[in-house]
Amino acid sequence: MKALSLYQDNGTLIHRVDPISKLLYIAAAIFIPVVLTGFTAGLAMLGLSLMLLVLARVLRKVVPLIGFSMLVLISVVIIQGLFYAGNRQVMFALGGVHFYREGLLFSAAICVRVLNILCAFALLVLTTRPSDLIESLVRQGLSPHFGYVLSSVLQIIPQMTGTMETITDAQRSRGMETEGSLMVRLRAFLPLIGPVVMNSLVSTRERSLALEVRAFSSRAQKTFLNEERVSTSNRVIKIVLLAAMAAAVAWRVVS
Amino acid sequence: MKKIVVEGLKYRYPLTAELALNDVSFEIEKGEFIGIIGRNLAGKSTLCQALMGLVPHFYKGAYGGSVTVDGLNVAQTEICELARKVGLVFQNPFTQVSGSKMTVYEELAFGLENLGVPRAEMMPRIESAMALLGIERFGKRNPFDLSGGQMQRMAIASVIAMAPDIIVLDEPTSQLDPQGSEEVFQAIQALSRQGMTVIMVEHKMEKIARYSDRVMLLDHGRLVDFDTPERVFSRDDLAQYGIAAPIFARICQGLGIRTPQTGLYPMTLDDAYDQVVNWHE
Amino acid sequence: MKNSMWSLKLSTSALVLIPAAVGINYIGKLFAGLLKLPLWLDAIGTVLAAMLAGPVVGAICGAINNVIYGLTMDPISFIYGLTSIGIGLSVGVLAHRGRITGIGSAVVVGLIAAVVSTVISTPINIGFWGGQTGNVWGDLVFAWMAAHHFPVWMSSTVDEFIVDVPDKIATVIVAYGIFKGLPQKMTILFRHDSQTEQL
Ligand SMILES: Nc1ncnc2c1ncn2[C@@H]1O[C@H](COP(=O)(O)OP(=O)(O)OP(=O)(O)O)[C@@H](O)[C@H]1O
Ligand SMILES: [Mg+2]
Repeated sequence: MKALSLYQDNGTLIHRVDPISKLLYIAAAIFIPVVLTGFTAGLAMLGLSLMLLVLARVLRKVVPLIGFSMLVLISVVIIQGLFYAGNRQVMFALGGVHFYREGLLFSAAICVRVLNILCAFALLVLTTRPSDLIESLVRQGLSPHFGYVLSSVLQIIPQMTGTMETITDAQRSRGMETEGSLMVRLRAFLPLIGPVVMNSLVSTRERSLALEVRAFSSRAQKTFLNEERVSTSNRVIKIVLLAAMAAAVAWRVVS
Repeated sequence: MKKIVVEGLKYRYPLTAELALNDVSFEIEKGEFIGIIGRNLAGKSTLCQALMGLVPHFYKGAYGGSVTVDGLNVAQTEICELARKVGLVFQNPFTQVSGSKMTVYEELAFGLENLGVPRAEMMPRIESAMALLGIERFGKRNPFDLSGGQMQRMAIASVIAMAPDIIVLDEPTSQLDPQGSEEVFQAIQALSRQGMTVIMVEHKMEKIARYSDRVMLLDHGRLVDFDTPERVFSRDDLAQYGIAAPIFARICQGLGIRTPQTGLYPMTLDDAYDQVVNWHE
Repeated sequence: MKNSMWSLKLSTSALVLIPAAVGINYIGKLFAGLLKLPLWLDAIGTVLAAMLAGPVVGAICGAINNVIYGLTMDPISFIYGLTSIGIGLSVGVLAHRGRITGIGSAVVVGLIAAVVSTVISTPINIGFWGGQTGNVWGDLVFAWMAAHHFPVWMSSTVDEFIVDVPDKIATVIVAYGIFKGLPQKMTILFRHDSQTEQL
């Protein structure tokens, strides 16, 4: 069974950067363009993220990750290009409808902002094993109980989808209709999810008991099976990112 | 040295009317191997959970009497504190997985991480527990990809790695074939010989007769008998409690063969063989 | 009662409920997609957890749900975690005040959840997407209103609300149906007021 994850194990340099540095990178990628305003900073950060994604050899995997947002962005460009409240100047006409300069600029800013954030996150998500991320966070002070909850979700979802496939097949073979009018499909919903849901809720009791006997509620200082990776390069990355954010603030204050 | 002292223990689960445990009292010495038998719903699992504090801390409900483990009064001690002394392996191996670890090796580490065992100490403990239960090969597997029997071995190993003084096993071989059950019993016996106190619920009477020092018979939440396997299995009212004595004892009973010194039926194949040979001479 | 509802100390049972609830959210969303329903149905677990264990657990379920979606599917989900937290909190409070007694009150609670969700999501939609939700039907209304020069905040609110109302009502009804079907032996584990009685 595989845990839910988008992690691509390519073993590049980027993969060896510690998860906390990557989180800090996301913070910087969001923070710097907000402070500096305007297109350039956002575009520069986006360019940097894309470059890092290429270095990590995961650029192609970004596409499914941002697919849905891309669709929304296209509709944003169309709707704002046509109807943005500040629209004055026609930029071009397409089949009789007018696209306005103001609306297109407004939507372009949205696109840069969203893509910038998405790509920064993609860098974390595609190059970090979720369990490593969670463990790093727990070492940094996240409650181990929350750490448990996060790792447990990543295991429980593939299990539930597995059970779900079995149930769907069983219900179909018993003649339940899953296609047809909206009413038919709505009525199919509860019998389909009911058993998986009940099952997962009822097993929470035994799971809790199992955790209790394994000293889950213990207040002892938790230890880790895996060794902590500490390296100077990771410290340098963090310092550079913090410095960049400080520099952005300074720039904004001065100019 | 008394490891466990139970006095007048009574317990009722929430929302139920009947007592699951009714006035149970007994004492267990350090290093003993205790077998618990009784028909379905007799209260065996409830008693196991009372030794670990899950009854009453986890379930709440109504509780009376006292359970003392290694000098600690269970009703006043937290479960995580008791988890340092008592290990509990549940009946169902499928729901005993922590559900947050990707490999069997990490799964075994889960309890040790929670207890704060230093990393250097963790690995030898995990490895020896895996070796004892014969699951070294599966170290890198995902816990959910194991068969029922392998999962059961992993569940036992996870508890053994925590190095408890007392291990309580609730039907630990239900998913194992005869060969596998025998291996697990041997492993547990090895721990018992090293001084670990073992308490095991089991339906396989032949195994109970062979491995336990004493057998506890429960029925309807009451302690019916607590004595050597020979005495308990020589009772003539066993059927009334839904128990069938080990096959060798039944054969000897049918033939009227008793061990002359005690007047009780032989329990194991070897004893039975000796007595049958004597009887023919 | 009020104190215990807001207790931040989570029992092991409550913690174990969270992954199950997030899994249920996921399954709900998956099945809604599979059956091509015009609803998301991706908060059934959060609502159930809120009914079972109160507002704190409900809110945490909401937050963790979106963190996981953000990490595994769509990073934008992180920001909408605020909406999920709001839904968990509001349903949890109403459930623990005993306001959900039947289908009728489940509809009302669904409506309240939709209002909460809209109030939190709309500013995010405006800040992030210029006001749209990404739902085809809602966005068509948004486009129509934008074309007729309604203010952005109004078109955006309507866009979100008309999608949220049927979705949240359906979600609360389904969750309530499941909640009713759960054995008491299990639901009692999440009560904040159980105590051991002396015999
Ligand atoms: N969580 C629970 N809530 C309410 N009642 C319970 C619970 N668990 C067990 N009981 C009841 O307590 C009594 C004793 O059950 P217990 O599980 O201890 O029996 P058992 O001897 O282990 O049975 P088995 O051989 O089937 O495992 C039974 O009447 C059972 O119905
Ligand atoms: Mg039992």
